[in-house]
Amino acid sequence: MFRFDPYSPAIDADPFPYYKVLRDEHPCFWCEEAGMWVYSRYADIVTALNDWQTYSSARGNLVDELPNRAGATLGTTDPPRHDRLRALIQKAVTKKALDHVVEPTRESCTRHLDAVAGEKSFDFVNEVSSKVTVDLLFYLFDMPREGQETVRDKAVLMVQTDPASRRKGPEHIAAYEWMASYAAELIEARKKAPGDDLLSNFITAEIDGESLADREVQMTVTTLIMAGIESLSGFLSMMALNLADHGDARRALAADPTMIPDAMEESLRYNTSAQRFKRCLQRDVEVHGQTMRAGDFVMLAYGSGNRDERQFPDADVYDIARKPRGHLGFGGGVHACLGTSLARLACRIVFEQLLRRIPEFERVQEQLPWVPSSNFRSPLRLDLAVG
Amino acid sequence: MPKVTYIEHGGKEHHVELPAGWTLMQGATLNGIDGIDGECGGSCGCATCHVYVDEAFLDKVEPQSETEDEMLDCAVSPREPNSRLSCQIKATPAIDGIVVRLPEAQS
Repeated sequence: MFRFDPYSPAIDADPFPYYKVLRDEHPCFWCEEAGMWVYSRYADIVTALNDWQTYSSARGNLVDELPNRAGATLGTTDPPRHDRLRALIQKAVTKKALDHVVEPTRESCTRHLDAVAGEKSFDFVNEVSSKVTVDLLFYLFDMPREGQETVRDKAVLMVQTDPASRRKGPEHIAAYEWMASYAAELIEARKKAPGDDLLSNFITAEIDGESLADREVQMTVTTLIMAGIESLSGFLSMMALNLADHGDARRALAADPTMIPDAMEESLRYNTSAQRFKRCLQRDVEVHGQTMRAGDFVMLAYGSGNRDERQFPDADVYDIARKPRGHLGFGGGVHACLGTSLARLACRIVFEQLLRRIPEFERVQEQLPWVPSSNFRSPLRLDLAVG
Repeated sequence: MPKVTYIEHGGKEHHVELPAGWTLMQGATLNGIDGIDGECGGSCGCATCHVYVDEAFLDKVEPQSETEDEMLDCAVSPREPNSRLSCQIKATPAIDGIVVRLPEAQS
């Protein structure tokens, strides 16, 4: 009997053959291990993302939700409250508003690439993508520089799940609680001395004359730090992996860097780090011969929808000329990733510099150590040999 | 399924049927219609799915939110009274047959 176990290291390493069976044979699948349904076809996922009234986020969006988080963050709140909260941050992260980020990102990238210059091989994850990501987030949120490494380590740990117990382990919960108290201290400091940074604006904001609830501010800041650091670093690392594995694509981009944005979109389609999120049904739904009940959870497998041949011809081919509009690499609908402009800007800068300085590189490890996670997929380490 | 007509800036017309509840932005990006980008994924977080709604349908589409109003100010092509973000317009029976014109540029 077919099983789909999102906690299994085999799925962390390569979920795509399992996704194909899901799409072709079990488009609405009951996953015993996670205790929820799974949507794997593009059209079904988009339908769910479009219909927040039926597919609610208010009971959590992570496949394994963190304690005390559901209902207090952007990703775990439904409209209309969600829209009001999001509007407080949205303006600061539009393309136009992020011009000031370009130079600091370039400088950070130059510094970290300088540090590996002349090496025969380097670990892209720990020496480049996480360092640039942390620099960028600390700049954007104007956070104190001491303890940068610890913040990064906790962000990476809190998104993980334990493959044996099939849930968050004590170390993951501890990392999350560490981040929540780090956020709480940051919030207290900003309340006393607000700046004009994104976090200060959110912390001091009001909706209809009322301050945001303490838990709402704390959990949202915690999530922004987690998503900013872990998700952006994951996106950069997956792009590097794709270019290591696809030499023709890499050489084409090195020869013509104006093609980098199209390659980024294809990476977001081909193997987005945001593989799976969940929603909670607000009414009974019948689909593909299954009856799901109000209160049931549904996992939306973005990574599978992005490989759905019904939407993307030759979906298993990494084709930088594809221009895969409508991909699910950033999710979609009202909860689509808040940081799309920031992610694209950082990724373009990193790969413009990397390909100029190191146009030839290949993967060292045949087997990669993957983040154990029911939501996310990216390598913990990616050694690149400079050619 | 509600029908939508997209008219590109150059005049080329596309007639598309959309599943109810899908947005006009999705109708364009999923049917290979150039001229709508939808960079933010449909969260009303950019202005790259800007369209001009045919006057006959202006009072049939859902009214725009404050956020959409602010985002429309970021549109690259001129903002007109019938400017909307197509990710905020869902295909429903009420707008069956709607016609939208695409601006010269989105970014």
